Amino acid sequence: MTHPSGGQADRGLGAGLDPERTITVALLGNPNTGKSTLFSALAGIPTRIGNYPGVTVEEKVGRFSHKGRSIDLVDLPGTYSLRAQSPDEQVVIDVLQGRIEGVAQPDCILVVTDATNLERNLFLASQAIDLGRPLVIALTLSDLAEQKGISIDIAELSRRLGCPVVPVVAPNRSGLGALGDRILESVSVAPPPAADLGPYLATIGGNRTAPAREAIARYAWIERLLDGVVSRTPTVAVRLGDRIDALLTHRIWGTLVFAATMLAMFTSIFWLAAPLMDLISTGMDGIGAWAESVLPEGAIRSLLVDGVIAGVGGVVVFVPQIAMLFLFIALLEGCGYLSRAAFLMDRLLCGVGLSGKSFIPLLSSFACAIPGIMAARTIENPRDRLLTILVAPLMSCSARLPVYLLLCGAFVPNLPVGIPWLRLPAVVLTAMYALGVVVAAITAFVLSRTIFRGPSQPFVMELPGWRWPRWDVVLERSREAAWSFLKNAGTLIVAMSIVIWALGTYPKFAPAADRQVPEAEARGEALRQSFLGMAGRAIEPVVRPLGWDWRIGCAVIASFPAREVVLGTLGVIYNLGDVDPGAEEGASELARRLKAATWDGSDRKVFTLPVALSIMVFFALCAQCASTLVVIGKETGSRLWPVVSFTFMTLLAWIAAFATYQIGSQLGW
Amino acid sequence: MPDNGLATLNLPTLEQIRVGCTACVSDVRGEDSATLRLLEMGLTPGASVKVVAAAPLGDPLELELRGYRLSIRRSDAARVAVAR
Repeated sequence: MTHPSGGQADRGLGAGLDPERTITVALLGNPNTGKSTLFSALAGIPTRIGNYPGVTVEEKVGRFSHKGRSIDLVDLPGTYSLRAQSPDEQVVIDVLQGRIEGVAQPDCILVVTDATNLERNLFLASQAIDLGRPLVIALTLSDLAEQKGISIDIAELSRRLGCPVVPVVAPNRSGLGALGDRILESVSVAPPPAADLGPYLATIGGNRTAPAREAIARYAWIERLLDGVVSRTPTVAVRLGDRIDALLTHRIWGTLVFAATMLAMFTSIFWLAAPLMDLISTGMDGIGAWAESVLPEGAIRSLLVDGVIAGVGGVVVFVPQIAMLFLFIALLEGCGYLSRAAFLMDRLLCGVGLSGKSFIPLLSSFACAIPGIMAARTIENPRDRLLTILVAPLMSCSARLPVYLLLCGAFVPNLPVGIPWLRLPAVVLTAMYALGVVVAAITAFVLSRTIFRGPSQPFVMELPGWRWPRWDVVLERSREAAWSFLKNAGTLIVAMSIVIWALGTYPKFAPAADRQVPEAEARGEALRQSFLGMAGRAIEPVVRPLGWDWRIGCAVIASFPAREVVLGTLGVIYNLGDVDPGAEEGASELARRLKAATWDGSDRKVFTLPVALSIMVFFALCAQCASTLVVIGKETGSRLWPVVSFTFMTLLAWIAAFATYQIGSQLGW
Repeated sequence: MPDNGLATLNLPTLEQIRVGCTACVSDVRGEDSATLRLLEMGLTPGASVKVVAAAPLGDPLELELRGYRLSIRRSDAARVAVAR
């Protein structure tokens, strides 16, 4: 194979390169090639994580030094081709061409290629070579390739490509030194020659588009390039992998294994994380109580205890679920099952305009939308990812459960429904869960055919080979997810809790000096007279059609930092003081109080069955969760989507609650 | 399902290949980004493709080509003309 070599030498930029300057290296590769593992192995924890302007692509930069030279490693999103079909893919090209402000044009492109899937991986690599920049190829998973009986003549491959090819096993750190050496060398020699597609292009007939012709020619070029470089001998591992694959995609067995896996995952984030979350809550309560005992009474103490400490507690409490879910996802991804799960579930979700990859994010959202939305990172298609993020909060999370339980228990008549052991409250509870799912399905269906309609993106998903997950990689993934949540979303969530605290505390209520007011009543009065109380009264005309009085409106506003707060606020507003709606006595006491509540200046009861149903329906669909909105903002890298999400969910919740109350009242429930 | 004129030509498509059978890609019809993505994934004329499995609900398909496993939907497989 010959390459045109004329005019290559002047493309080298080594001559003018200042030996003191930091070298910028872009990390390019297909998805599932162990790219992020290589990033961590080379650069450790990223020094900078952000978002590229206008797109949902994470900008991740890490720094390391090799032989005294400082190297900035810019991680690019996994991609199959340099011919961009979406703005997110365009970012890759823009970074490589140095067209992004604040990101230096890479001095060298490090292309990660999967040794078990060299032919397809070289498609992207050869496109990158055509950019005419210094380039090094890292051959990952070469240990796995060996097990699968794939042998690669690396020296010959490197000679034919005209660029260094370095086998690495990133988790063992093997090959990293050589990789660093080749990177340093690459910047001072001529870049590899572009692939000569001419002869292949000439053989393609028909009226095809230029990119299509390029793709066909490139594969022909690669086939020729790899001829005599790669050889395969089927091994036991391959046959075993095929057997596992046949079992796990089997109509019955595959479905059973899938159901069991999902059940285990869901159980662990729902219940296994619970003791840890309780521990955090108890710990934060302890810190709060301690602060309360050492600080003098006053505004500062109230701010620290009820604002800051409660806010921090409200953030940290999510960490166990996030860590647990990402542990599971990393395990499934590590062994290759994550794509199989998406494969099994695709048919179910593509009907509503999503894909199989949305399944785990949506399922996780039943425990909590925050890890669910974060799990949407595993969806490569930006459209599907955004759509999943928008509908995920409609799944009834565990914070809605106490609201449902209390209201179902207190206001839904305990009547049999004709099926043994099944009573009306249980039916209503199930209906609330179903409501979220149905509304999410309709929303996804409508959005995917309207606003999100774009050029048809085919569902192409690689099913990677089976392998053993690596514990260090799995734990790192989980740690990274928890940390990124704390760091990126934590501050904003705490700030919001403080704002809500201030609104519920000021203006200060001063009881008349001549009257002894019981503590609970004083707290109730303070809340009623605060900005929050005023806001509740101000929005009364809006919530009146839902059958609510201003106190309910007030409690709903107060629940913005976290949904379950609504019960606690109702407790305070009805002079119960602090009740723990989770504890049986707290809940039954609160239920008793709510049942007795009457409209101001009359003895008409506030809480009737239609009102309770309207509150539940509202909570099933509303976006009263500041943390979710903050995470949507962070994950989409935009301020627009949280606003869209909040507006659309609140509208939806209002309409549904309105319909519920009006129909319920008409039917005389 | 997009009408790519394949039905009239009576050429079999990848969608019609039985699970367990191998076929050779002869053409990928269409000029949109979906076609390009299929080509970029290696479904180019001349490539040999085995239909390994179909998902329990019938869709998508699991293919083996160029030494790796790829999953695509039936509607996309219908764009791929094959020779048995």
